[in-house]
Amino acid sequence: MSRSPQALLERRYARLGLLLIAPTIVVFCAVIVYPLLAAIYLSLFQLYTPTLEGSFVGISNYRDLLARGEFWISLRNTLVWTAGTLSLQIVLGIGMALMLHQAVWFRSLARSLILFPYFVSTVVAVLVWRWLFNDLYGILNHMLIGSGAVDMPVDYLGSMPNAMISMILVGAWKYFPFVVIAVLARLQTIPDTLYEAARIDGAGPVARFFDVTLPQLRDVLVVIILLRAIWDFKEFDLIFLLTGGGPVISTQTLPLLVYKEAFALNQMGMAAAYAVVMMAIMLVFMVVYIRRTREKDAS
Amino acid sequence: MMRRLLFNLMVWSAVLIVAFPLFWMVVTSLKPQLELWARPPAFLPVEPTFEHYITLLRETNFLVYFRNSIFLSTATTLVVIGVATLGAYSLVRFTYRGRESLAMLVLFTYLLPSVVLILPLYLMMVQLGLANTLFSLVLAYTTFALPYALWLLRSFMAGIPQDLESAALVDGASRMGAFRDVIFPQLLPGIISTALFTFILSWNEYLFALVLVNSDESRPLTTGVMNMLISSFNIEWSLLMAASVMMSVPLIIAFAFLQKYLTRGFGAGAVKG
Repeated sequence: MSRSPQALLERRYARLGLLLIAPTIVVFCAVIVYPLLAAIYLSLFQLYTPTLEGSFVGISNYRDLLARGEFWISLRNTLVWTAGTLSLQIVLGIGMALMLHQAVWFRSLARSLILFPYFVSTVVAVLVWRWLFNDLYGILNHMLIGSGAVDMPVDYLGSMPNAMISMILVGAWKYFPFVVIAVLARLQTIPDTLYEAARIDGAGPVARFFDVTLPQLRDVLVVIILLRAIWDFKEFDLIFLLTGGGPVISTQTLPLLVYKEAFALNQMGMAAAYAVVMMAIMLVFMVVYIRRTREKDAS
Repeated sequence: MMRRLLFNLMVWSAVLIVAFPLFWMVVTSLKPQLELWARPPAFLPVEPTFEHYITLLRETNFLVYFRNSIFLSTATTLVVIGVATLGAYSLVRFTYRGRESLAMLVLFTYLLPSVVLILPLYLMMVQLGLANTLFSLVLAYTTFALPYALWLLRSFMAGIPQDLESAALVDGASRMGAFRDVIFPQLLPGIISTALFTFILSWNEYLFALVLVNSDESRPLTTGVMNMLISSFNIEWSLLMAASVMMSVPLIIAFAFLQKYLTRGFGAGAVKG
């Protein structure tokens, strides 16, 4: 049986394509797919971290976890943190993007300054904020006391609900630039004719925002909200460094719980079970996001 | 005119409030120790000093951490860009079974929480005897850097017109020849910005460094500087602020280069956080 040269070429191309993707697949299997499966496998064991000795316990880790108050508290904290910081990021991000879309003096300088919190390391951001929050010498307490808003220094991180509020605010400060840039990029592609038409119809600035801008932003906002929800849900660095989950466990989110269980309490198996459950919750958002991207890819 | 002035004032006050913590970081790093305890704090240092920077470089491990971070981020970026460029070329311009599923797997791993992967990776590094080495961190960093770079490069690659490659093929070039002569030059801006983003991600990483490295010789800046806070009895805020400023310098440089590509990168759904 003879093959056409065309078919032969196609086959050779397919083989070359596989060869080019091979290094990616090898790395993926070694550092992502294998650890992912291993995490699920680990969650069926009771395992002491320093010696790595343990025994198979089946699904009892999962049964324990659901019965523990700490899991539910951490889940609630994660949801409060995600909902709080995400909504602030969205509101502040859209507001700032609308402002920076207008003609402002030194606009590109303003844009760079806004972006900076996003690029700076979380370690740097947290150090700076802990210094601002310092009870005796921090500038925030100076300003609040000086303006007469409070009589006593505020304890920003050591008491509740202050710690959760501070954490949500710092999170919003650090991550809202992402929303600014994404929205700004979309704003630039809205045709002016839409605004002119609205103006002729007698729409004021507020009406133009709700009737023209917001509907145009809808698609990009859905993507931003999904992405940010996923990233805020799994945030570790900022919370761990800012409050460490404290006071006691009032700001402890699920990623912190996983870390604590594995490396402070040395229960690797239990930690894996927490991690798997956390991922299962995130999977909802991830699947929606991947669906959307795939549809966009296809069209 | 009045309205314009008011609008500008409003925008700039908002911008300055957002930028204030970073301004305060620089100011604090330049204040002599005594001025830190002044009430009310001076808005600008009365007698600016570089003593904290000198202490930082001379009396702490800062330079070791800095060198480690440079090595780590550069190595991660080189490995990841090399693998991801070939991978992205394959994902965009070749047809074979499973290609679409592979692309979706990349996207899935891009969203995966590090805290899930860290447990088995920790066990893996301990068993391989790689714990406490920079190499273990390079390996661990590929878990987030590779999906990220692949996804970003894939969108840059998709933006290159197919006709260019087809023309080269008709002229008798091989696929890899066409890649080298036609695609690569077109893709170069995309590769550079992806490399810079990858560098920034690795530079700022904290969790893997916290878990996998526990010795001062191989600690990168993030955990190293944080250690200076925890291990000191008296928190020296000016020293920490000086460290924060120094730690951000490479980011500012990368950022300056990125400006041009920023919107593009964001538009591609990139820039992780």
